[in-house]
Amino acid sequence: MAETSTTSVTVSVDGRVSTVSAGTTILDAARQMGIAIPTLCHYRGLSPYGACRVCLVEIETPRGPRLVASCSHPIEEKLVVHTDSQTVLAARRTVVQLLLAQAPQSTELAAFAAKLGIENTPFERKAEGKCILCGLCVRVCKDLMGRGVISMFGRGATRVVRPAFGEQTDQCQACGACVTVCPTGAVDLAATTARRPVPHRTGYDQYLCARPSIDMAHPQAAPRVPAIDRDNCVHFQTGECGLCEKVCQAKAIDYEQQPKTLDLDVGAVLLTPGFQAFDATKRMEFGFGLLPNVLTNVQFERLLSASGPTEGHVRRPSDDQPPKRMAFIQCVGSRDPSRKKAYCSSVCCMAATKEAIMAKEHEPDLDVTIFYMDIRAFGKDFERYYNRAKELGVRYVRCRPSSVEEVRPTSTLRIAYVDQDNRCQEDEFDMVVLSLGLEPSASLQEQAERLGILLNEWGFIQTDGLHPLDTSRPGVFVGGAFQEPKDIPDTVMQASAAAARAMTLLASARGSRIRTKTYPPERDVTDEPARIGVFICHCGSNIASVVDVEEVVRRTRTLPHVVVAEHNVYTCADDTQDMIKDKIVQYRLNRVIVASCTPRTHEAIFRDTLRDAGLNPYLLEMANIRDQCSWVHSSNPQLATQKAADLVRMAVGRSALLVPLAEETVPVKNAALVIGGGLAGMTAALALAQQGFPVHLVEKEDRLGGTVRDIYRTLDGLDVQAFLTETIERVGANSRITVYLRSRVTKVDGHVGAFKSAIAGGDKTSEVEHGVVIVATGASEHKPTTFGCGQSERILTQLELSGKLGRGELKLPPKATIAMLQCVEQRTSERPYCSRVCCTTAIQNALDLHEKYPDARIVVLYRDMRTYGFREIAYQKARQAGVLFVRFDESAPPTFALDSDGQICLTSRDMILQRDIEMKPDLLALAAPIVGRADRQEISDLLRVPLNADGFFLEAHVKLRPVDFASEGLFLCGTAHAPKFLSETISQAHAAAARATSILSRRSMPVGAQIARVDPDKCVSCMTCVHVCPYMAPIVGEDNKAEIQQTVCMGCGSCTSECPAKAITLRHYVDGQVLGAIDLLLNAETASASPLDLPLLEQVGVARPRWRKG
Amino acid sequence: MIVADRKKIPEIRDMIRSHKRVLLVGCGTCVTVCLAGGEREVGILGSALRMSLKLAGCTVAVDEYTIERQCEDAFIDALAPRVKEYDAIVSLGCGAGVQTLAERFPTTPVYPGLNTQFIGILESQGVWTEKCLGCGHCRLGEFAGVCPITRCAKRLLNGPCGGSREGKCEIHADTECAWQRIYDRAKALGILAKFDAIAQPHDWSTGIDGGPRKVIREDQCIAGMGPKA
Amino acid sequence: MESEPIILALCCHYCAYAAADMAGSMRLQYPSSVRVLRFPCTGKIEVNYVLSAFERGIDGIMVAGCLEGGCHYLEGNLRARRRIERAQQFLDEIGLGAGRLEMFNLSSAEGPRFAEIATEMHERIVKLGPSPLRRERAAVMAGVEKIAQESLAALAGETK
Repeated sequence: MAETSTTSVTVSVDGRVSTVSAGTTILDAARQMGIAIPTLCHYRGLSPYGACRVCLVEIETPRGPRLVASCSHPIEEKLVVHTDSQTVLAARRTVVQLLLAQAPQSTELAAFAAKLGIENTPFERKAEGKCILCGLCVRVCKDLMGRGVISMFGRGATRVVRPAFGEQTDQCQACGACVTVCPTGAVDLAATTARRPVPHRTGYDQYLCARPSIDMAHPQAAPRVPAIDRDNCVHFQTGECGLCEKVCQAKAIDYEQQPKTLDLDVGAVLLTPGFQAFDATKRMEFGFGLLPNVLTNVQFERLLSASGPTEGHVRRPSDDQPPKRMAFIQCVGSRDPSRKKAYCSSVCCMAATKEAIMAKEHEPDLDVTIFYMDIRAFGKDFERYYNRAKELGVRYVRCRPSSVEEVRPTSTLRIAYVDQDNRCQEDEFDMVVLSLGLEPSASLQEQAERLGILLNEWGFIQTDGLHPLDTSRPGVFVGGAFQEPKDIPDTVMQASAAAARAMTLLASARGSRIRTKTYPPERDVTDEPARIGVFICHCGSNIASVVDVEEVVRRTRTLPHVVVAEHNVYTCADDTQDMIKDKIVQYRLNRVIVASCTPRTHEAIFRDTLRDAGLNPYLLEMANIRDQCSWVHSSNPQLATQKAADLVRMAVGRSALLVPLAEETVPVKNAALVIGGGLAGMTAALALAQQGFPVHLVEKEDRLGGTVRDIYRTLDGLDVQAFLTETIERVGANSRITVYLRSRVTKVDGHVGAFKSAIAGGDKTSEVEHGVVIVATGASEHKPTTFGCGQSERILTQLELSGKLGRGELKLPPKATIAMLQCVEQRTSERPYCSRVCCTTAIQNALDLHEKYPDARIVVLYRDMRTYGFREIAYQKARQAGVLFVRFDESAPPTFALDSDGQICLTSRDMILQRDIEMKPDLLALAAPIVGRADRQEISDLLRVPLNADGFFLEAHVKLRPVDFASEGLFLCGTAHAPKFLSETISQAHAAAARATSILSRRSMPVGAQIARVDPDKCVSCMTCVHVCPYMAPIVGEDNKAEIQQTVCMGCGSCTSECPAKAITLRHYVDGQVLGAIDLLLNAETASASPLDLPLLEQVGVARPRWRKG
Repeated sequence: MIVADRKKIPEIRDMIRSHKRVLLVGCGTCVTVCLAGGEREVGILGSALRMSLKLAGCTVAVDEYTIERQCEDAFIDALAPRVKEYDAIVSLGCGAGVQTLAERFPTTPVYPGLNTQFIGILESQGVWTEKCLGCGHCRLGEFAGVCPITRCAKRLLNGPCGGSREGKCEIHADTECAWQRIYDRAKALGILAKFDAIAQPHDWSTGIDGGPRKVIREDQCIAGMGPKA
Repeated sequence: MESEPIILALCCHYCAYAAADMAGSMRLQYPSSVRVLRFPCTGKIEVNYVLSAFERGIDGIMVAGCLEGGCHYLEGNLRARRRIERAQQFLDEIGLGAGRLEMFNLSSAEGPRFAEIATEMHERIVKLGPSPLRRERAAVMAGVEKIAQESLAALAGETK
């Protein structure tokens, strides 16, 4: 760049006059003025050279007009420049035509010429060549990289660019800068360098594609700024280059930045370092890293992602073709004691199932095979998902293949396996995905030592079965997969729970460091006509790969009141939001529409953006063109585009009539109602009470404890009864917890922050006020009606068996035969879910029995052993102890008979031996399903919270909000949510307490501004609203007109839909706003007046003013 | 309160199908309270009529307007300037409203959009019942506050009849026996003895059978406008 | 006339709208004729909104609220059902036919159900054919254009 000077000069370019600093080149000045001049050899950050002559412009001189290269000609005072005069265009044409003759093979140059309207050259083309001898590569190598490996040799027609002697040299650092800058694609790095060029690859895209040395970590990185990869950056390696610093106009590049060490004073530490994937190269027999078409599951996840390297198209790396057959190999780095990964990684079965379903959605004809050992679909609704995959044609083969071989030359992959009929098979696949196990993050291994935290044998944090959040060091808590491999909902739960543990410690310091966010004062837009800004999101390629976003923008620009419409790659990204704020100011916008994903997740974010820009948050409207358009109409981009345009148009129609609404606050009652006095309820109650919040704990039975009263030991051998007794004592001793035994909640009125409930116990009913409700009503073991359950005292459920074992009531002969039957009346069409705990319970009971009766024969009849996480170790232990595991197929369950003399007779088909096995056990233990409590419907009705198809309470979001109900202020935990282990119940109870604390810790909270309002002038006092409202919010005031009690109104709008005089409006959903959307979608042909014609604010929602006397 | 309910769309459509521009006029008093003729119903009917006419191949413009009270001239004034633009009116007022409009706009046809039913009350949300016949000679004082003329199917002044069964009238299981109500209330008030005497026949001369009635308050009459000029 | 009908789905925020989102995250495909308009509760859906949309030429309307007994606002969906039944009576009297309007109940967990009812409604409307009041897209867009021109004029007037 030319030397800058403080003196400025005036310049006229194409008749436009501007002032620039003296010494600026014509090219730079023109670009500043928004006038484009084509160039080939100009490169920002390199000094001008003037070689290509494409940038010729005409300047006026005292001696007449003159052609100069704009890239190198500095501006002097009062210079007059023409960039598009006939002379310039003719000269440029000739120059480009000459270049075309010089480099006939350069497609880049041909494309450049075509853009200028030059398709051909009258000059004789050279026989071959791509180079135009602009010298950019030479300059970049010498000036920027300080190497000078290549230079110009020869003269005239024989002039070429090459390294000295035309030989490859290791002087070349293979940085590739010459390749990057070459405008004609002429540089062949291999001809220059003696080293092997290796592209840097992105970790985010799992090393599937290349990236520059300065890069954004991933599209939604926080903070969303690029970072330099010091290990590969030329500047950090040699001190040369520095190009990024030169070109960054924001001057944001700082090579001097150093890692900082911060000293923080904290009262608690939460460890959430997560996991890393098993190193697939440690199982070389599967060929990862050697065979191109063997991928890890994380790589495959990127291939499926719309923002991934293949934009969501499944392509195999070797030839970029869609695979026809693919296979997943499970348990790579899991359940593998030989590689010190004896545990199960818990998530891979479902991850593979999900990836299989997604792959089939992308490529419906794709054949997917999953090689597995046991399918561990143990989570809520997982079994249903697994069944769906099977219905979609995903083939599950129970076999652990020993190796993958490549078949040349097609690079397909051959896997040998044993099928379920015990026959050796060989199949070929286009692609193989390895389901990698989870291992603890390596960096944390040494840190754990520094922190003084005990790790377990596998390098995960050591916790115990009753204290899943506590590390070996007090005040240090753990959340997520660093404790044990776990999937998203369990991670979210445990993370919230760890927060609850920390909050208990820090309760006294709560609020001491709060800074409240301040917003600029709200702009009064009352008298302004609507000025709408529309921001349409690509969502990476989630939307843009289906919907023609630019077309939607074009159509939107012509809509009423729209003053600006734009599209953005990620509208929710920080920089885009800043851009929206700027546009609000720049265009004086008073309504904003974001067309992107669902308002259910993003409305709050964009409302905040509006507040930051001084607009009332209710002036935002969203159009859901992802979840309800691009994702569901991906097969028809044209119709999806039309629909997206329609949805935006509807939003415009509604948005024009939006009005600012004021949010008010109501005080929060800082007490909690916990329904259910089992371990979940007590744990949540204690976690809240220890923070100083009063808790009303309601238990329907005559004592606390729930199901846990029948559980005696955890898998790791802890005494559950002692723990339970201690917990009950702590509850009793805590003065903030009021326990209501033999009681039921009979009424819950009010809303988040201010509930009023009635608790009936005996003949007494107490009224309590509270801010939140936690549902911890538990679940029951279903008594099977099959397999003789209840017909013989020798047939027990697993829970009964562990109870008898725990109490020492079991009497068996020393050489007894004990049969355990898994999946009884569950994982069936009638009850299509897995109860999660039964496999582990069976193994725990089997181990206990083995200890007590070493000579007993224990046989477990199972379908899949679902001993996930470290429970797998117990499974291995049981096998080592001689417990027999015999698998049966769901199509041929064991048959049962009970002789007249009480002898149990069980016959099962062994899938390995292909023979029936008959046994006459002395004891039969049945893995009975866990089912929702009998009174679940009552609770569901009372609180208006949903149950799922299996009779468990349904959380707000199965992955991201696992302890919240959709309704504000209501939470759930324990087995009321889904079957789970004690440690998981304890975690979830803490999590519910943490979520409840987010409300209880406030003094007040905003009430919805979106409530009903009566226009007293129009009210005819007909009482319709009073009769219709389910909350009794409308009352008839002293003037005999209806009015709505603000804090009682929930904003459903029922009264507004019935008011015969149209005197009531629901704010944010007034007639004009609703009909505005319908009107712009369909356009009113007959209506005499469009709602848009109405004056704003005052009259929206009013069809037409009614005549009034006076 | 006067209670009315809606006419079916085809009936109204056929009344107005030969017109070009029709104004739908709502009334903000009794018929709004009984959810039959207020602003909401006018909007619904307007929409429905426009669609119905279009589907019947008629090009009739239908606009909507609701006034405070159709039976009051002063309120009709607000309507007057608009009416010129229309060649017919559909009134969603009671019969009185329809006729008041007809009188005010002598050259414009006025059609009823409602069936006016009775003077009654809202019994429960969505249910209205008749309570008064407007006989011109109220004797509720004699009958413990329950009107046998309106509420007894036979208008018996000396009831009940043999058709009274468990508090219900023989004409319909849902209809209360007025005389049972009278008896219950009289008993509660301790005035049962009053019913030992035979009730006198009703003087129907004040009723509708003598032609349309008038109520005159001389003291309220305004010079030049009232009957006593 | 385009063959693709336009169907409005008037959806409760708490159930049907969430189910529609879920159908999205499950990538379930359903006909693109369905355009969702979000309400806080089906209790807010007025007869007039339904009739206005039909008057403006919509081919069909599906109202989707919470399961009976599961309304976030206790009974908004029950009142909505009665109101929709009344609107259906009107549609019959008008001659459009009640079949073009239907109320469905589903929970927020029923993404597949949303896709199913959207498909069901689409097929029903395709069978019934376009609404006799349906206007050409071009005419609609011309009308919108006209409003836009007016709004431009208003904005221009305001900046003067």
